[in-house]
Amino acid sequence: MTATLGTGLPTVDRRRVGAVRATALCYRVLVRQIVSVGRLAALGTLGAIMILVGWVVGNSTDRDGSSATGALFDGASYADGFGLIVIVPIVSLVFAAASLGDARDDGTMVYLWLRPIGRFPLAMAAAAASVTVSLPLCVIPTALGGWLATDFVAGSGGVALGALAAAALGTAAYSCLFVLLGLLFRKAVLWGIAYVLLWEGLAVGLGEFAERLSLRGYARSLLAQIADVNLGFETYRLATAVIVLAAVSVASLGLAALRLRHLNVD
Amino acid sequence: MVEVHSVSKFFGDVVAVSDVTFSVRAGVTALLGPNGAGKSTLFRMMCGLTPPSRGRVRVLGADARADRGVRGRIGLSPQQDALFDRLDALGFVSVAAATHGVAEPADAARHALGVVELDPDDPRPVSGYSKGMRQRTKLAAALVHDPEVLILDEPLNGLDPLQRRRMIELLEALGAAGRCVLVSSHVLEEVAQLGSRILVIAQGRLVASGDYRELREMMDDRPHRIRIEADQPRALAAALVTSGAVVGVRIDDDAVVADTLEVDRLGREIAPAAKNLGARLRQVIPLDEDLESVFRYLVERR
Repeated sequence: MTATLGTGLPTVDRRRVGAVRATALCYRVLVRQIVSVGRLAALGTLGAIMILVGWVVGNSTDRDGSSATGALFDGASYADGFGLIVIVPIVSLVFAAASLGDARDDGTMVYLWLRPIGRFPLAMAAAAASVTVSLPLCVIPTALGGWLATDFVAGSGGVALGALAAAALGTAAYSCLFVLLGLLFRKAVLWGIAYVLLWEGLAVGLGEFAERLSLRGYARSLLAQIADVNLGFETYRLATAVIVLAAVSVASLGLAALRLRHLNVD
Repeated sequence: MVEVHSVSKFFGDVVAVSDVTFSVRAGVTALLGPNGAGKSTLFRMMCGLTPPSRGRVRVLGADARADRGVRGRIGLSPQQDALFDRLDALGFVSVAAATHGVAEPADAARHALGVVELDPDDPRPVSGYSKGMRQRTKLAAALVHDPEVLILDEPLNGLDPLQRRRMIELLEALGAAGRCVLVSSHVLEEVAQLGSRILVIAQGRLVASGDYRELREMMDDRPHRIRIEADQPRALAAALVTSGAVVGVRIDDDAVVADTLEVDRLGREIAPAAKNLGARLRQVIPLDEDLESVFRYLVERR
């Protein structure tokens, strides 16, 4: 900064804002905007319930000595049925849909959109902000709840690790998808809940093809493969599950960037 | 610096802006119009926030919606009150500076906040600010990267008279320094203080342009409608027609509603006419002194 114009304002040196810097700048703003006490309390309570119920399940099952496999199955099923079906998509939905959706609704989007920065970094920042907040709220209850539900039998560490990996990659993929959803619909949380309940929850039971179009199928494949537990459904190979979840994430961010480019900003 | 050519904007069946053409050069230009006239929509199109349905908008020779470089040369203070409420003013303005690529964003933000007379060290988040302080925070964020084109949507809203005067001085200084400053307002007297070129927008159309004096004369020359409540309204109406001070009268609920082209003369004629008739005057009210009426007149006249 050097001379002033007689306006009290200095002339300023401006540089091109690179993609990484743009992502970091937007991330710092968005991560603060999406966190609220109400959201953390509600979703944290949901996670606490999962952990508590997991402990109850682990302690209440009356097993004979040969049922270690059954205990691992119980733990993995619990991590899948509560963590991957409920906690991961719902927590991701709340924060990811809010990341750009709230900014669009409350009129603050203009402060990020009208800047000489790319659209992909903005979408990337939104997803990163969402993942940052969602990850502990998803991974800890899913992994810990699943582990507790195994009653610590031999191999329970594999269930915890599988649940952790599935929850982490699932959170990332759902977050990217729901960032896009937040840009497509005004009431994105309602649309997201409908998607989670109707598609991820019910439609995947319609058949193999439907299951291939659900994120849950790939996330729980990760869980089953790492935990080495047969959960009684089609299991994809580890690499396939990881690649599909990563591809969904990247594609969602690409579409979100495209949507941002054509967005009408208030 | 800003060219708007045959621009229209439709939202479904609603025509927000209709075939507007103008160009704006360096200096201060005011966009005057009632609420809902299409001012904010025009500003949004200039910034590329929404595309025109028809026509072409160019800022510094480019389309801000498609050209990232041009977006970096525009400063916008939008009409809506929303800010990133978790940030303090320095944080908010620093983010604006950094995302514009300003080399030393925190220093630039401090300067900009100083210019709008806000304390950069105020630790409160902007959610705790008054409307005037939020308005000035937005202005600082719009100014911080020293833009060539400054678009300010109702920037004087919420400011007290002293702050308004200082803000107007700042805008004039920016205009004199070669910046293109576009300011919208629905308050005629506010625009008068800017001493700028004025574009009058009403019902989505550009209905007049010029400096304040020209527009004031145009507005004063228009027909006025006055309601006169008095005893013997029919006799009073007849007397006013005979005097030639009115171009039309009608009786409405025992009151005279008079149309005149010479409002000062009519004002002088009413009391003597009533006195001659022995009628008691109860009230004389101008019916069309609000700005909406002025704009309506300009639209009809066009």
